[in-house]
Amino acid sequence: MAPVLLLWLAVCLSGTWAVDRGNFKTCDQSAFCKRQRALKPGESPYRALLETMELTNTRLTLQLINDNNKVRLLLELYRLQGNITRVKINELKPLKPRYEVPDVLIREPPTEPLSLLSQDENGVVLSLGAESQRVIVSARPFRLDIMEGREVLMSLNSRGLLAFEHLRMPSISSCKSLLSLFASQAAKEEEEKVEDVMWEETFKSHSDSKPNGPSAVSLDFSLPGVEHVYGIPEHADTLRLKTTDNGDPYRLYNLDVFQYELYNPMALYGAVPVMLAHNAQRTTGIFWLNAAETWVDISSNTTVFGKMLDYVQGSSETPQTDVRWISESGIIDVFIMLGPTPNDVFSQYASLTGTQSFPPLASLGYHQCRWNYNDQEDVQSVDAGFDEHDIPYDFIWLDIEHTDGKRYFTWDPHKFATPKEMLQGLMDKKRKMVAIVDPHIKVDSNYKIHNEIRSRGFYIKNKDGGDYEGWCWPGSAGYPDFTRADMRAWWASMFAYDQYEGSMENLYTWNDMNEPSVFNGPEVTMHKDAMHGAWEHRDVHNLYGFYVQMATAEGLIQRSGGVERPFVLTRAFFAGSQRFGAVWTGDNAAEWDHLKISIPMCLSLGLVGISFCGADVGGFFKSPSTELLVRWYQTGAYQPFFRAHAHLDTPRREPWLFGPENTALIREAVRQRYTFMPYWYQQFYLAHRTGQPVMRPLWVEYPQDPATFALDDEFLIGRDLLVHPVTEEGARGVTAYLPGKDEVWFDIHTFQKHNGAQNLYIPVTMSSIPVFQRGGSIIPRKMRVRRSSSCMEHDPYTLYVALNPQRTAEGELYIDDGHTFNYEKKEFIHRRLSFANNVLSSVNLAPDAQFTTGSWIERIVILGASKPSKVTLKAADGQESQIEFEFDASMSVLTLRKPGMNSGADWTVTLQ
Amino acid sequence: MRFLIIISAVFCYGFVDSKKIRGISSSYKRFYRERKSFLCIDGSKIIPFEQVNDDYCDCEDGSDEPGTSACPRGRFYCTNLGFRPHYIPSSRVNDGICDCCDASDEYNSHAHCQNTCWNLGQRERAYVEGQMRTLDEGLRLKQQLIEEGVLLWREKQAQLRELQQVAEDLQIKLEEHRRRKHEADRLKEQTLKALEAADSGLRHQNSTVTSIFELLDSNKDSSITVDELQAKVALIHDEERVLSEDEAVALLGGGRQMDLTKFRHTLWDILTKGDSVKIKDTHGAPGSLVGEDLHLEAADRAAKWEATNLKKVEEAYDTVNMEISDLRKKLAIDYGTDWEFLFLNSQCYKLKVYEYTYTLCPFNQVTQKNTAGTEVSLGKWGMWAGTPKNQYSQMVYENGEPCWQGGSRSATVTLTCGTETALRSVKEPSKCQYIMDFQTPVACQPVLKQRGIHSEL
Repeated sequence: MAPVLLLWLAVCLSGTWAVDRGNFKTCDQSAFCKRQRALKPGESPYRALLETMELTNTRLTLQLINDNNKVRLLLELYRLQGNITRVKINELKPLKPRYEVPDVLIREPPTEPLSLLSQDENGVVLSLGAESQRVIVSARPFRLDIMEGREVLMSLNSRGLLAFEHLRMPSISSCKSLLSLFASQAAKEEEEKVEDVMWEETFKSHSDSKPNGPSAVSLDFSLPGVEHVYGIPEHADTLRLKTTDNGDPYRLYNLDVFQYELYNPMALYGAVPVMLAHNAQRTTGIFWLNAAETWVDISSNTTVFGKMLDYVQGSSETPQTDVRWISESGIIDVFIMLGPTPNDVFSQYASLTGTQSFPPLASLGYHQCRWNYNDQEDVQSVDAGFDEHDIPYDFIWLDIEHTDGKRYFTWDPHKFATPKEMLQGLMDKKRKMVAIVDPHIKVDSNYKIHNEIRSRGFYIKNKDGGDYEGWCWPGSAGYPDFTRADMRAWWASMFAYDQYEGSMENLYTWNDMNEPSVFNGPEVTMHKDAMHGAWEHRDVHNLYGFYVQMATAEGLIQRSGGVERPFVLTRAFFAGSQRFGAVWTGDNAAEWDHLKISIPMCLSLGLVGISFCGADVGGFFKSPSTELLVRWYQTGAYQPFFRAHAHLDTPRREPWLFGPENTALIREAVRQRYTFMPYWYQQFYLAHRTGQPVMRPLWVEYPQDPATFALDDEFLIGRDLLVHPVTEEGARGVTAYLPGKDEVWFDIHTFQKHNGAQNLYIPVTMSSIPVFQRGGSIIPRKMRVRRSSSCMEHDPYTLYVALNPQRTAEGELYIDDGHTFNYEKKEFIHRRLSFANNVLSSVNLAPDAQFTTGSWIERIVILGASKPSKVTLKAADGQESQIEFEFDASMSVLTLRKPGMNSGADWTVTLQ
Repeated sequence: MRFLIIISAVFCYGFVDSKKIRGISSSYKRFYRERKSFLCIDGSKIIPFEQVNDDYCDCEDGSDEPGTSACPRGRFYCTNLGFRPHYIPSSRVNDGICDCCDASDEYNSHAHCQNTCWNLGQRERAYVEGQMRTLDEGLRLKQQLIEEGVLLWREKQAQLRELQQVAEDLQIKLEEHRRRKHEADRLKEQTLKALEAADSGLRHQNSTVTSIFELLDSNKDSSITVDELQAKVALIHDEERVLSEDEAVALLGGGRQMDLTKFRHTLWDILTKGDSVKIKDTHGAPGSLVGEDLHLEAADRAAKWEATNLKKVEEAYDTVNMEISDLRKKLAIDYGTDWEFLFLNSQCYKLKVYEYTYTLCPFNQVTQKNTAGTEVSLGKWGMWAGTPKNQYSQMVYENGEPCWQGGSRSATVTLTCGTETALRSVKEPSKCQYIMDFQTPVACQPVLKQRGIHSEL
């Protein structure tokens, strides 16, 4: 009860300044959501027509009929490679085509054969291949059950909430047939109201013409045995999703929310319609591929009420979570990822939408941003400030004020008169810059970009066929139709060095406002009846930002002739956005709760493929206290995307403006980040290869430990680093849960060893960042922290070998040039480092890859070691030599002095 | 044998070179004398001498690696012959960026560094010379301005004293005028009272019959005519109307004229006792009351005159007092130990930066004008806010126009030494917080000059 009370207080308190909720729709204010949510669980009116079943090697098709209105649907069922089942439902004969989301799947997912196990008049049973997995299609009423052995993994339409608003002519009679859907629930006058908003609805002063009428789709999923569900970002909420019975469903609709509120299901800037379900036995996932406005209801029989009911009834019912998806238009196209492990689900999802793009190494460093650095002199002095205070950074950022009157791809002629000079100045220090390019284009006949887009007809159209215009930073602006491939190709070509004047190879891009943000539009976004060719904005809304980033990243690739990796930050995103760059959690605020929420927000994104996530360090709105700023740097240093940012109206907050003590604290946090750069880079390589998140909830690595299931104040980076940042004001200590019954964890600062499976109280001071290395891991670090990551390229490595109780450890070392796509041509070093039987060795994980590095191993630190009498290095050529060492008996730390072998070579080090 | 020679050569070279340990200043050489072992400068550890600058950090204080990037807390000494020697963090050794002008920090990197020390030295020397000249000139000008300031201060003080004297004089005058006005008022009051008393008493006195007759007899021919009567007598109930000829004739007892004797027995009674006609209330007139009325008029005039005079003096007194208070306020401002900043008081300095024109009126206010001509206050004079050592190095102007996100605009003006007095730069690093660089000879500090000389030596 106490947490609930606290939560309530937090919500109330934050309510004093936060979002104007009235600007955004509740489910009740969104006609289709209200309509659909009025439909209560019960017997489904849908029936499977088994006689229409067709089974080929790759798919099963079957017609469904709604007995209330006789409208027929077509069900397609696929078994996809990698233990995924795809269920597609569309109208059998729609009046016109319904939108199916393109470009999100990286390819048509390869199928595997389905085989019929049995069939009778009640349904059919299909085999999903090995492991006794089956799909049972029940005919009357229609439902799907996915089974493994005797266990139901997931059921579809088991609560009868499948609903498909078929397309119809706008006449009263045809409306009636839809209304019959609701006949059992709704009274006559209610029906009239429903009918009213089916063909037009208004919100505040905005009217949505809805020329296609009602077109919503909905389906329910039951997850027996599941008490924990995650995902469906972006929401400013806990990692573990809450039940929505007593409020609005979680909403997925990309919106520019001014000063968003925490701990509620309101929509934010991005949407990934992917949910993970987890219990100690299995992890599964649901990917609802629909880009329209979507609401997700979650209910559970193990909420307080459910449990009480159990108690009263003496029921032994297993826990169950029920989920319901409702989208405004499009079709039902759902991918059921059957795990069974978290990593299986990650790779299943990655096989559909791709993995995290492999970022340039430098982009994993520290980013210094502010709205705005005023002019070139300002940029230069901030850059010099970092050198003066010996704080490393890789990127300095320019927000909208750098442009000539908010015309993107241009520079303010006075304040940024010689951008190449400025960029060269940064390049001389091996540093880089990001400049903002937003997708709203100033309507101005003297602006080349506008003229080209207009003359090519690339703008999104309004419902009457003219170019859609809305208000944004430049005043009146057009919005290019990024759903068009030809538009995206043209946009990409604008990043060529000869097109984007003043740009150089160390200039990268930031796409903001790409929900899209329309200041004078409904809910600060685009009118749903705006047109993208034949499709309404309604159909594609959540995809817009995805496409903007896609086209921009493509532009950065093309300008280098396909050689250099791009770096593009986006605010809006969708499933698959991980392929194009980084995201951040938008316009947060300088408050302790916002610091805390950065953890679950990025964890949720990581679970659905988007690993390159960060929150504005310091908080965007308002001004942080010095303590908050320091704590945010300490937290951000251990999150994937590490960028400080601040609102135009806030006082300056470069790291050296808060007195030498705080400068030192921030410097130390940033330096820690840089020492771990090889590990971060390696984790991103892994994410790129496998789809595993870089920043992970603990349950992903400890799936059988229920104590980890709801943790979101600490997290793992990869498998081997556990971070419990200090996020409480005035904290004297934190309690971190160290997982793993037979595991040990080493404090990375003191090397003190702690046992796993315990809540550890850690006293903290302002300089403390509680971070632990897992016993059994080897982490390569670079301890010579320099001005920027590029300056550290050739530096030697220190290997931190943390022994587990079995006195073994494993790790990897990945090295490439850090910025090109040459790794795809096998130009990299990938080695396995392992310690066992007192021998540490490096073996090649990619013998067919080629890369040379000047980096060598300068130091090996073995944690939890005992004192050897002799340490021998055996090089690749068989040469043996003695290595000097030091042993700290109090902490059992053995430090091998300057073994000196090349990082790419084979070698063994033997302790005797 | 040859091997031995090489070895010994290397050894000798090494020995000689020990005086040239990379990355240390000559004052640190004593710590790096070639011995078998090396003691970390902080005394924490002894290591073999070969481990000095061997690209591995052994000493906690970084002292074993002055010439490499191995130690996190180390520093590298750029000798920079021809320029200024200085330390850089060890992390800048061999990082591919040229930091030392003698290129000594990039001895093992891909960077191609030129030795630019001589050029830099030249430039620095030229710059320092320029600075010195500026300083000399600035100090000379400052001396002048101090002298002027002192004079100006004295002048202002004199002005103040003068004003105070004027105020004192005015005070006396004011009292005199108050007294006189009081007197005049009293006189007027008296006259008025006397007149009121006469209202009942004097009317019947004979002596006044003659005077009324004389008043009416405009042409002094000892006879009142119809015309004369029409001119001087009016109906009580309608003063405006001129008596008709018939009415006048009737008053004259049916004739067209009347002598004094007849007047005494007829018209006099009508005028004094009747209620149909009266002597017109014309200027300098009312009949037998003429003498008293003239007194009253004079008294009234005198009172008015004195009131006007008093008002004038009061105004003058207020003006002078205002001037005094203004001047006092101005003089209360801290214009530096020698009043050297006093001359800025009545000046304004402008600078155009991008689309804005900024105006600094020292000790008064700072404003910003956009191209459209809208002027915004960035702050009014607040205080000196320099360092404890030199509080006159910075001024703060506060409480300018409010900002939409709360608070109000403010400007911080940093004063730097120059031969001219001018606004050099204006920046707005954070919204509504302006930073200005204001150059003036009076900011020149002789201390700086000495430091400059030292650094050159």
